[in-house]
Amino acid sequence: MTITRRAALAGSAAALASITAGLPGHARAQGGQVVVGTWGGDYGELLRQNIDAPLMRPKDIEVLQDIANADPRKTKLLAERQARRGTYDVACLSDTDMHMIGQQNVFDTIDTAKLSRNGAIIPALRKPYAVPHIYSALVLLYNPDKMPKPEGFAAMLDPKYRGRVGFSDILYSTNTFAAAMAAGGAFDNYEPAKKSLMDLRGLDAKVYPSNEAVAAALKSEEIWMTPMWLARGFMWQKAGIPVKHVVPQEGAYAIVFECGVPKNARNKDNAYTWLDASLDARAQTAFADRMGYLPTVTDAALPPEIMQQIGLSEAEQQRLRAPDYDYLLKNHAGILDFWNKQFKG
Amino acid sequence: MAALVLPAGLLVVLLLVAPMLLLFRISLNRFSPTELMVEATTAQNYLQAVQDPYYQQVLLTTLGIALGCTLVTLVMGFPAAYWLARMESRWKSLATIVTLFPLLVGNVVRAAGWMALLGNEGAINAALIGLGLISAPLPLLYNTGSVVVGIVAVVLPYMILTLAAVIEGIPRQTEEAAANLGGRPMTVFRRVLLPLALPGVMAGCVLVFILCMNTYASAVLLGGPQFKMMAPAVYDQFVRGNNWPFGAALAFILLTVTLVLTVLGSALIGRKYRR
Repeated sequence: MTITRRAALAGSAAALASITAGLPGHARAQGGQVVVGTWGGDYGELLRQNIDAPLMRPKDIEVLQDIANADPRKTKLLAERQARRGTYDVACLSDTDMHMIGQQNVFDTIDTAKLSRNGAIIPALRKPYAVPHIYSALVLLYNPDKMPKPEGFAAMLDPKYRGRVGFSDILYSTNTFAAAMAAGGAFDNYEPAKKSLMDLRGLDAKVYPSNEAVAAALKSEEIWMTPMWLARGFMWQKAGIPVKHVVPQEGAYAIVFECGVPKNARNKDNAYTWLDASLDARAQTAFADRMGYLPTVTDAALPPEIMQQIGLSEAEQQRLRAPDYDYLLKNHAGILDFWNKQFKG
Repeated sequence: MAALVLPAGLLVVLLLVAPMLLLFRISLNRFSPTELMVEATTAQNYLQAVQDPYYQQVLLTTLGIALGCTLVTLVMGFPAAYWLARMESRWKSLATIVTLFPLLVGNVVRAAGWMALLGNEGAINAALIGLGLISAPLPLLYNTGSVVVGIVAVVLPYMILTLAAVIEGIPRQTEEAAANLGGRPMTVFRRVLLPLALPGVMAGCVLVFILCMNTYASAVLLGGPQFKMMAPAVYDQFVRGNNWPFGAALAFILLTVTLVLTVLGSALIGRKYRR
């Protein structure tokens, strides 16, 4: 068999076409793909089930999740901020992290004209650099079988609960806030936490490496109290862990999980399509149903039984505010240092 | 011949030396919470790390764990390496593969396995409670002991295989000759086998010590939130604190201490060996 030059060229072209058809978007023409930097676990799974599959696939857009905890993804965003092309088309972070990274000029200002669902966003949750996805409140979880309903974070300092307060190590900033508020601190003053955290250390407060480890300790009744997100409490209750929640009388903050588009995103149009899909009422309701997070849009109806568990009364809402982002940005390193060196050290 | 080294040399320069130089430059910058880091040429980060009692303690813990694990690994590894080296049966290849087996699993997965074994609701505590020997779980996890167990399990194969390679090269007849001359087994080991195996001991200890100094997964997963070694402290500064200059300085302190101790240790053992 002889192979002519023409046949060889045609064969090579066909082979090249078949190879590149399987390559990710950056090797082909842009489009058809969006990379979402997000948490894994239930969060990632719910994104796949309620946004990626039903809303993005019909548009022929392939969603790739880059899964990691927030800290490594923040570091990646910072490390890549001067690169021409970044990894993420959409970055999912908590509001505090989003503010911190946004200060480094990482994100585009959201072009609301590209979002058909823009009008449905709860006005108080709007930010120029991010779209709110879901939100929850910082509460004090407690074991109702072991102790009466506490009024607020100050209950953690009650000596009769010696050894029964637990903290998740990854929530060091939130725990410091709770300890500050328990001792008369404020959203822009975490200083009182220095004393109350050391008091808590003297009261044998326990530190666990993850939220899951805190859940295990609550389940085994090793601890009775922990500052935590209401949504987590909802999930743990569903899993049979004996906890109820109280919105602390001292005041607490809401946590909003947000999504932004990095300036160096490769597929910006698809990123906006994804952001729009994330605001879909059905997708938002699904997050409430499974994970207990509240919708960030006004038209996502929640079933009454879920609303009863995760909804907040007007009085409770009065006690919630957004964190003082600038204070946290300036004091974050000091908060971490104190947590590591003094409280845990 | 020298040209043959060029590809590997270039790779090392590109992938190791260049990022290290960049890291060193970052370590001389100043941290700013709002700007991440400000360009500067200051030794402040190094001074802060060296003078801070917290980081002194973290470095001491790291050194203690690394030296302890190296010693435990040597004591546990030598008999196994000797047995493997002197083995003549057809099972020798299988024994070598079995020794390598732990390296086929990643550090994190291996540590997760230890967590499942040592945790409050782990297999050991469940078995002891099930047998009625204890009523409350024993604190087997999140302490120095669990970290040492986890690290030794990781580095033991390196020690065994390094020692076995050297012991294999020592003719069995030298031990037999020493025994014929009246040497008791311990004397033969001390006067003949150990001095001849010293290059392997040195190589194994250096390898294991360096791996232990840089332990991350075992320290984080088995030591828990209150246990701190240098590698997790470096990670904390880079990833949780966003303080890259200080994290870079900590990384260079860890590198320097490891390098100095490795060179010193090798020189000391080497001098003894030459004698």
